[in-house]
Amino acid sequence: MTLLSQLPEHIRSQWPYAPRFTRVNGWRMHYIDEGQGEPVVLLHGNPTWGFLYREFVGPLVAAGYRVIVPDMIGFGLSEKPLREDAHSLDGHSANLAALLRTLGLQGIHLVCHDWGGPTGLSCAMADPARFRSLVIMSTWAWPTPPAEFHTRVFPWRLMHAPLVGPYLLGRHGALVGRGMYLSVVHREQFRDRAQPAYEAVLPDPGNRLLTWVWPRWIPLDETARAHARFQWLEQRLSRTTLPTLLVWGREDDVFDASTFAERFKRMLPHAEGPFLVTGRHFLQEDSGTVIADRIVTFLAGLERS
Amino acid sequence: MTTDIQVISAPRLEDKRRSLVLAEDRIGHYAEFRAFFARTFDLQRVGLREPGYVLAPSGLAYVFVFVGRSGEPFPAGLEIHALVAALEPMDDAAVDRDLWAILRWMIAGVGGEWRVEDLDATGRLYRLAVAQAPAGG
Repeated sequence: MTLLSQLPEHIRSQWPYAPRFTRVNGWRMHYIDEGQGEPVVLLHGNPTWGFLYREFVGPLVAAGYRVIVPDMIGFGLSEKPLREDAHSLDGHSANLAALLRTLGLQGIHLVCHDWGGPTGLSCAMADPARFRSLVIMSTWAWPTPPAEFHTRVFPWRLMHAPLVGPYLLGRHGALVGRGMYLSVVHREQFRDRAQPAYEAVLPDPGNRLLTWVWPRWIPLDETARAHARFQWLEQRLSRTTLPTLLVWGREDDVFDASTFAERFKRMLPHAEGPFLVTGRHFLQEDSGTVIADRIVTFLAGLERS
Repeated sequence: MTTDIQVISAPRLEDKRRSLVLAEDRIGHYAEFRAFFARTFDLQRVGLREPGYVLAPSGLAYVFVFVGRSGEPFPAGLEIHALVAALEPMDDAAVDRDLWAILRWMIAGVGGEWRVEDLDATGRLYRLAVAQAPAGG
């Protein structure tokens, strides 16, 4: 917790939860575990950590749920491997599976965003009996191409190109810095109230490794490393009957709602939504309490049914 | 100003130390980047026998240590080390400018869809001080 203890009080006070640690596939994973009731697991993506869900924890606990928020290995307060080969899509899904089994969770409500989507949804589709519902935000779950944006050299592919990624995202922390800043709607509020919490846990070039490794795992063609996994995920997910809620940012210009939320809706026609909120890619930063309330309503509806 | 980087022969190493300044585990993530380094440093012939050397705008020489990995085309990775005075701290700002010049040189050499103008635009998008300076700065 030394990384967080150096932060100003107005940042630290937003994350008052007891840190917990466990080993997953040999790595030290940090998570929080608050409240009692049916488990709700909140999954972040690149380059964030559990702090992204700070406005979700209180309302969900108050509504009678047990809230588990892990930090992906490589992010937040979890261990940060220093070699690129330590990271893979399957490996991160298996890390999550290890945590869920260690905690003995059943009937899980899974909330996922960004790379929390492919990792969390893969985990869920591999063991669907363990899950009760899905909440999907600003992510994707099918093979190439995720978006036209991801095929462009500028700015996407150059950002994480060989040597450019370690320089720009490593030495200069560009994704956790200006990248996140550009991907919220209320930028000044984000800079003052939240950005230090994201930057504090990735203080050095070496521990920012995953910020340029994850972009390299986005399949751009059929030869990509994760292409087969995404094919499998799309097939499995399109057959699931798990109750699902889709939440998207109106201003999301990377995983735009008209493309991505609508594709999830076609894949999962029984899903509620898409429920549109103020937000770019990091929609939790702009509409945290609104989304949390919507999830509580969604979960309450499941109980009634 | 993509000629700011010169490939040089091995410089004198007395009273110098290698200072690791940038590492890439996956130089072949886009195959054309691996091909650029293989071509520039004649790596099919040289292999792992010796590193490559370049001279950067600050006057510092840099050592390119190519990394092989079983089952993958060579080189798999690349470490860039600044050659600095053995017992002196290095000038990190100068190294940062040199690294940017190395990236511009690399992108120009890779060519095709990879353009130095786009790298510069990326640098400006993320407000890198080195990208605000005149080209080659």
